[in-house]
Amino acid sequence: MVRSRSHIWFVAPAVTLMVVILLLPIGTAAVLSFTDYSLGNDGAEFVGWKNYERIFTRSTYEKMFIATFTYVGVVVPLSVGLGLGSALLINSLKRFGDLYKTIYFLPVMAALLAMAIVWEFALHPTIGIVNKSLALGCGTFLENWAWYAQGCERTFPLWLTDRDYAIWAVAFIGVWQGFGFNMVLYLAGLTSVPRELYHAAEMDGARSAWDRFRLVTWPMLGPTTVFVVTITCIRSFQVFDTVEAFYPQGGGPSKSVYVMMFAIYEKAIQQNLMGIGAAITVIFLGFVMLLTMAQRWLVERRVHYT
Amino acid sequence: MATITLSKINKSFGETRVLDTVNLDIHAGEFLTLVGPSGCGKSTLLRILAGLEAPDRGEVRIDGRTVNAVRAADRNLAMVFQSYALYPHLTVAENMLTPLRMRDLSPRERLPLVGPLLARAKHRSMRAMVRETAEILKIEGLLNRKPGQLSGGQRQRVALGRAMVRKPAAFLMDEPLSNLDAALRVHMRAELAELHRDLGTTFIYVTHDQAEALTMSSRMAVMMDGHILQLDRPDRIYDDPADIRVARFIGSPKINVLAGEVDAEGRVSVRGTPLSAAVSPAFRGPIRIGLRPESLRIVQGSQAVAIEGTVVHRENLGSDIFLHLAAGDDSERLIVRATPQEAAGVTLGDQVLVEHQRGDALLFGADGKRIKPARAPEETAGQARAVA
Repeated sequence: MVRSRSHIWFVAPAVTLMVVILLLPIGTAAVLSFTDYSLGNDGAEFVGWKNYERIFTRSTYEKMFIATFTYVGVVVPLSVGLGLGSALLINSLKRFGDLYKTIYFLPVMAALLAMAIVWEFALHPTIGIVNKSLALGCGTFLENWAWYAQGCERTFPLWLTDRDYAIWAVAFIGVWQGFGFNMVLYLAGLTSVPRELYHAAEMDGARSAWDRFRLVTWPMLGPTTVFVVTITCIRSFQVFDTVEAFYPQGGGPSKSVYVMMFAIYEKAIQQNLMGIGAAITVIFLGFVMLLTMAQRWLVERRVHYT
Repeated sequence: MATITLSKINKSFGETRVLDTVNLDIHAGEFLTLVGPSGCGKSTLLRILAGLEAPDRGEVRIDGRTVNAVRAADRNLAMVFQSYALYPHLTVAENMLTPLRMRDLSPRERLPLVGPLLARAKHRSMRAMVRETAEILKIEGLLNRKPGQLSGGQRQRVALGRAMVRKPAAFLMDEPLSNLDAALRVHMRAELAELHRDLGTTFIYVTHDQAEALTMSSRMAVMMDGHILQLDRPDRIYDDPADIRVARFIGSPKINVLAGEVDAEGRVSVRGTPLSAAVSPAFRGPIRIGLRPESLRIVQGSQAVAIEGTVVHRENLGSDIFLHLAAGDDSERLIVRATPQEAAGVTLGDQVLVEHQRGDALLFGADGKRIKPARAPEETAGQARAVA
């Protein structure tokens, strides 16, 4: 029998493409993270673990991690929860379901950069609609709330430029923008729940909507939830547009919104410090990898029933 | 045990009328089968009984109590679904525990970890009930498995167990055997009938398989186009069908139907050959005559009244041989059930003579309703042969 080498020709294009456009850039970034390379320089020095050391010791990067994890910690649970809630509500509708679907999906379709400008106006301290609306409530029972009374007395928060509020305002916009996507994923998940299971639950005595949710809906949405949480985590880690739109000059009031993506952009592109930028990128990749592995593990272990 | 009464049930889905004024009395402890072709409304009727569907009009009574306004969860009925509808994320034991948990525990006692501590005795007795039921169904070994790890037959048992464990007033079964392979289905048939005898509870069983209906039920209701055509014991349905649709649906292979004629005196004839049967002259005109395949026999030589046909197909079932005959101008094939000895010499393409020998010929009027013979067959008194 003649040994044919034709199999090489079948796999070679795919393997080549994968190496050239996926593995090589990641490998390059990993190598660069150990150098002090700048764009335009002829060569670069190996600096060992110095870039990483800096990331884990300097306070700027501490702020970066705090901002990133705060953002992820707020956006993921809220946008997953709201996505599930709105999907369940829409699913229970007999009419107008499509209308609601479209409305909630609008922010997902819109360019976040453009939406950020709109939000910037809305949250403007003096002419913004948010603070103007809040001011209308002054003098009413709402003033019993100490925070509100304080706002009336002085000014309402400078949402985007106050160190205490900036990250929360940005996270809020992240939730507003992202939950429609999760809703669509959950709606798709809901269509695959067998109707007979609800009937079985009813026959078994599940009287309340909560019982049915606990017994059927939530477990059957397990695989969807794992996917939604993973994808939302990755998307939240990648937040950049809003931060860049609101704070083009460096990460918000006292770097409280200095998220990872922005840090990479600032270091590597604006300041041309490729080495440190690559190091942040590698760490970022590590987080995403961890998340993906957790997802795979969950899918295989817990939520895969058949 | 419960008596269940359905009266004047009507149900339409949009324009289609699924159930048209259905009345049904189910006796306590009986095994009642609703049988009919798909789309006849049998499943809808069962679901109305269960409370999963609301009738447009009509009344459902369980033990004399009207339950139209009572939701399914509170009717104390258990249902076995065609797809089994087991909770895939729960083990077999947890699946069987679910109806007990939902009914007997308060929401607080159902909490994980804390619940079993709050109501230790209840939880213990519930687990004992599950074990007991599992022993009856011989699935003790499967209690810790998930439904995904079970075979079809095992899932079927678990679904039965989930229904049995809380001792409901009646069992409702919606084609529970149709997802099993043929051998297992025959086996489960016997087992279900036995289970019914042991439990003594009312069973209401929906199927499209006439064999299941004939073998298991105490009574069966044949449904078609939203009506119950006949409700009776299986043997009576088979021997004495009230409607030609019932006769055609029940029995395998299908009953042979020949076109006949009733003359002014009430004499019945097939293709000009007079028969001994006679009916009231009021039925004058064309009628149809049903002959079960087993009441036909192949005969040698030319008899007075026999049908000649060509053998076009031969099915060997081991104990029986079904011969399909093309007879004259009739478009419908004639099927004869013969013993292997009788059919030994018959091959495809043979011309054979067939005679009606056993059982009654069933006469149906032009409207499909059964016509009973008006008087006992005369001349043939000596010769016990009703000849077709």
